[in-house]
Amino acid sequence: MFNKKRASLFFIGMTICFTTLQISAQSDYSNYSKLTQKIKSLQKSNVTNAKLEELTTTIGGHKIWALTLSKGKAENKPAIAIVSGVDGSHILGPEMAINIADNILKNHVNILEKTTFYIFPNMSPNATENYFSSLKHYKNGNAKKTDDDRDGAVNEDSFDDLNNDGLITMMRVEDITGDYTKLKDDERILVKADINKGEKGTYKLFSEGIDNDKDGLFNEDGKGGILFNKNFSYNYQYFTPGAGEHPVSEKENRDLLSFLYDRWNIFAIVTLGPENNLSTPLKYNASGAKKRVVTSVLKQDAALNKFLSDKYNKIIKAKDAPISKGKGGDFFQWSYFHFGKLALSTPGWWVPQVKDSTKKASKNKVVNYLRWAEKENIKNAFVDWTTVSHPDFPNKKVEVGGIAPYKMLNPPYKMVADISKKHTDFIIELAKMQPNITLQNLTSEAVGNGITRISVDVHNTGLLPTHTEMGKRSRWLRKIKVAIGLNKNQEIISGKEIRLLNSIDGDSSVKFSWLIKGNGSVTLEAGTSHTGVDSATIKLK
Amino acid sequence: MKFNRNILKSLLLLFLFPLAIGAQNSSEVFRAAGSPHNPKVQISFNRYYTSEGLAALSKKIADAHPNLVKRQSIGKSALGKDIWMLAITNYKQGKADRKPGFYLDGNIHSNEIQGGEISIYTAWYLTENFNENEYITNMLNDRIFYIVPTINPDARNDFMKEANTGSSPRSGMIALDDDRDGKFDEDGYDDIDGDGSITRMRRKSDDGNYIVDPLDPRKMIAIGPDDVVTTQRYEYLGNEGIDNDGDGRINEDTHGYYDPNRDWGWKWQPDYIQRGAYKHPFSLPETRAVADFVLAHPNIAGAQSFHNSGGMILRGPGAQEDLATYNRQDIRIYDAIGKKGEKMLPGYRYLTVYKDLYSVFGGELDWFYGSRGIYTFTNEIFTSFAYYKKQGRDRNQTYDFDKELLMGDAFTPWKEFDHPTYGKIEVGGFKKNFGRATPGFMLEEEAHRNMAFTFYHAQHMPNLSISNISEKKMSGGLKEITATIKNDRLMPTHASQDLKYNITRPDYISISGVNVIAGMLVTNEDFNVTEEQKVNPAKLRVRNIPGNGVVKVRWIVKGNSKFTITVDSAKGGLLSKSNK
Repeated sequence: MFNKKRASLFFIGMTICFTTLQISAQSDYSNYSKLTQKIKSLQKSNVTNAKLEELTTTIGGHKIWALTLSKGKAENKPAIAIVSGVDGSHILGPEMAINIADNILKNHVNILEKTTFYIFPNMSPNATENYFSSLKHYKNGNAKKTDDDRDGAVNEDSFDDLNNDGLITMMRVEDITGDYTKLKDDERILVKADINKGEKGTYKLFSEGIDNDKDGLFNEDGKGGILFNKNFSYNYQYFTPGAGEHPVSEKENRDLLSFLYDRWNIFAIVTLGPENNLSTPLKYNASGAKKRVVTSVLKQDAALNKFLSDKYNKIIKAKDAPISKGKGGDFFQWSYFHFGKLALSTPGWWVPQVKDSTKKASKNKVVNYLRWAEKENIKNAFVDWTTVSHPDFPNKKVEVGGIAPYKMLNPPYKMVADISKKHTDFIIELAKMQPNITLQNLTSEAVGNGITRISVDVHNTGLLPTHTEMGKRSRWLRKIKVAIGLNKNQEIISGKEIRLLNSIDGDSSVKFSWLIKGNGSVTLEAGTSHTGVDSATIKLK
Repeated sequence: MKFNRNILKSLLLLFLFPLAIGAQNSSEVFRAAGSPHNPKVQISFNRYYTSEGLAALSKKIADAHPNLVKRQSIGKSALGKDIWMLAITNYKQGKADRKPGFYLDGNIHSNEIQGGEISIYTAWYLTENFNENEYITNMLNDRIFYIVPTINPDARNDFMKEANTGSSPRSGMIALDDDRDGKFDEDGYDDIDGDGSITRMRRKSDDGNYIVDPLDPRKMIAIGPDDVVTTQRYEYLGNEGIDNDGDGRINEDTHGYYDPNRDWGWKWQPDYIQRGAYKHPFSLPETRAVADFVLAHPNIAGAQSFHNSGGMILRGPGAQEDLATYNRQDIRIYDAIGKKGEKMLPGYRYLTVYKDLYSVFGGELDWFYGSRGIYTFTNEIFTSFAYYKKQGRDRNQTYDFDKELLMGDAFTPWKEFDHPTYGKIEVGGFKKNFGRATPGFMLEEEAHRNMAFTFYHAQHMPNLSISNISEKKMSGGLKEITATIKNDRLMPTHASQDLKYNITRPDYISISGVNVIAGMLVTNEDFNVTEEQKVNPAKLRVRNIPGNGVVKVRWIVKGNSKFTITVDSAKGGLLSKSNK
């Protein structure tokens, strides 16, 4: 007799087998549907500690996922938010976010007793899909129709793949009126001619395409959309392509902020994106910090950043990261300057410096990358210049070529697992340092005549301060509340029933004492949403 | 018997009512200059209306004038109330949303209520005077008004129906944690004397710094350093309230608090920099509804918002840091309108927010101008000048005015109460409807003058015409057609802020019906200086049509057929003209 049950078990076994094979065989980054599948299966295999929500659906019809990792009630513990896919060309970010979630659940699940994680793997799904399309080019916006050059026409001049290689690279035109010349280190690369060094330009350089609307500009208004990382309120770049008509105009930006504003327990936000204050900390600038519209990290926060940056570099062990503090309208700077949280950001990976035979690294980023790519045996890093005929330059020599898109910003996929592991380790370190308010040295003594003196140190056992210096100013971080609970027959002789503290530094405390008349017991509670709350019941003497 | 007679009377009234709906018998009235003398919709302009009251009035106006008014809800408030907008124009002439538009709103600050009534007055005046008054008729033929009487309907009602000061709630009704203790709106005002207003608390105190004026028990006099006090001393204890949450403070977490006029998306700053900001630009449903409406209506060229008080006609910049946004050409236009306003509104001053009031980010007028290139004013309705029609601050005049002209209606006399923390106290003071809100008998005048100011502003939105078309024969069967486009009002089709950032698309001047060989902008006709447009010469793209100025365009065409010239300007309207 045919055993149905056994057959189906066999089938399941095969499926598991295939799935495992598939995962181990993954050789490139995950597109939207693959990423969605990964998030869902991650949640399904960790139903008690992982919760998956649809944050929103973008105008392009992609779902934005919010994954909460927590043991027990998420909002009762200090939380770290991890936000990636902030920039559509950073394909590494979403992959890292999933891996970090997976690592936490597999290898560090106990951290969830004390810390909650809110993970948003991909905030720019419409943009990251470009990496997987048959025509690869940087397009970091969402699906909103935009008039990028503000000329009254929408999407009238997009890129064109002139050499039919499935990549949008650059286009150079031999022309004595051009400003570009070949770089001596590597003649494939064009740089601006420097007349002070006796150089003369012989090329014009454009992105690959045709001037479809005949306005003299190339590819200035394609399917631009609005960029997640240009649509926030800090240093918003008005009227620039991809910024939108006003800050936080897009659903994904708005709904992410609503989510974050509602979670009072968040103390830190880690952005996986182009901005970087982890391998190189932000520098304090006194005049920028004193302005009404603050433009510099505040002094104490700069010191905190330095401390965390040292920790990061020790764990990650990668040097020479490019400095990038954000170009305005970006999420990372918003999370610090406008939200006041402990804000950390890293691209996760950058091209290591490669020294030539004279032990010198090139100052030109592309040269450096090409040297590294050669060393790592990465194929197709550069599209060699080939001549094309171009309708806008009928009598000129026009060549298409240049660095392949995405390659310089994202490592080969095989490196992703290790990068993710190291970043998980750092995030776990960060969680271990989180602010943690406790009641210490709690004593009660009889003063006589039915009066009891209660004394306590409200202590932050974490290494991190309860509030960043910026967070002390922000209405979106609660103060530390120290409250004593009495019944009707008890009376405070000295001390206040409720005290609010602006902050407590790492490993520091504030002393309190009360004189209470009456008998029975009173309750004492200290802390707030993002620091944890400690409480005690005290018997009156 | 009596009962029956009453029923009979009511029946008779019901029967007669349809004939008399709204209007009075024309033989019974005589027109006062400048006012609708027998309006279809009867409205009392010596009282204020709740949000439902304003909604009902706007519906009456819309129902009575279906060819002039379209009423729509532009969105919902935080508590789910409709935000009603009246779009008023002569719908029988031209395309409504292609006419130069004027946007008008009131009451963004919930306690600053007059804007609601001024908006209704304006809608009423426009509709009742159409075809009665030439200026108004032309205005509605050529322009469209978008009038939103209240953009804070939730808290307007709270101001009127709940206990408040003259300055609260100002915020909307979304609860926020002002003292950052984890609780929301847990310690608001308490109306101890139950008069519907939050007045003041005072207490007899041997250490107090005040005495009661022996000649007027309403008043308190501050004791000076050399005064010899022979009577009972008092101390002030702040606004009426109790410590609801037991934290040792009174009224420290009232409604909100946030300021809807710090929520707009031009150079927005968060709460720690700009007190009152909410989460992000347009994080409030009400401001967002307005922004979405304005973004969808690029024909809006002028705007006005109504606040109170102080008698001010305000323009931006709101913030000192934003000084560079307002450039000279546009300030000249603001000045021309603002100074006219000073004349039309006695006691009002034309001022610039950042230097004359306070330096502030995220305001409505800055978004309208900075982000959309729309010339916008904010009027602060009502000034103490109105009490006795003279300038100067006199502390006694509010007390005098209350007694002499309001028959004492504006003041709640001091009365003794027991306070849970302070013990025996006295509560009293001016009511919430006095001091900032215009007293009833002056409201219609204030509404009228402010409306007239907005009309002056709306009048100077661009007004385009194709003033001349000339044709010149050329050899080879070609013809040169030159058209002059005239704008005979103050405002250009693009403010200089607009031109700086290409906010609004260019104006299109196009020709149809002929074979166009070349098209150009004529920059100097006498010396034949032109700028050719190489691509698509039949549809010329013109960056701007200046105020009180002209633009000349030229086409070289083949053939001699009939042609039509069309001017298509987002803020200047759509018009065309054909040759004979």
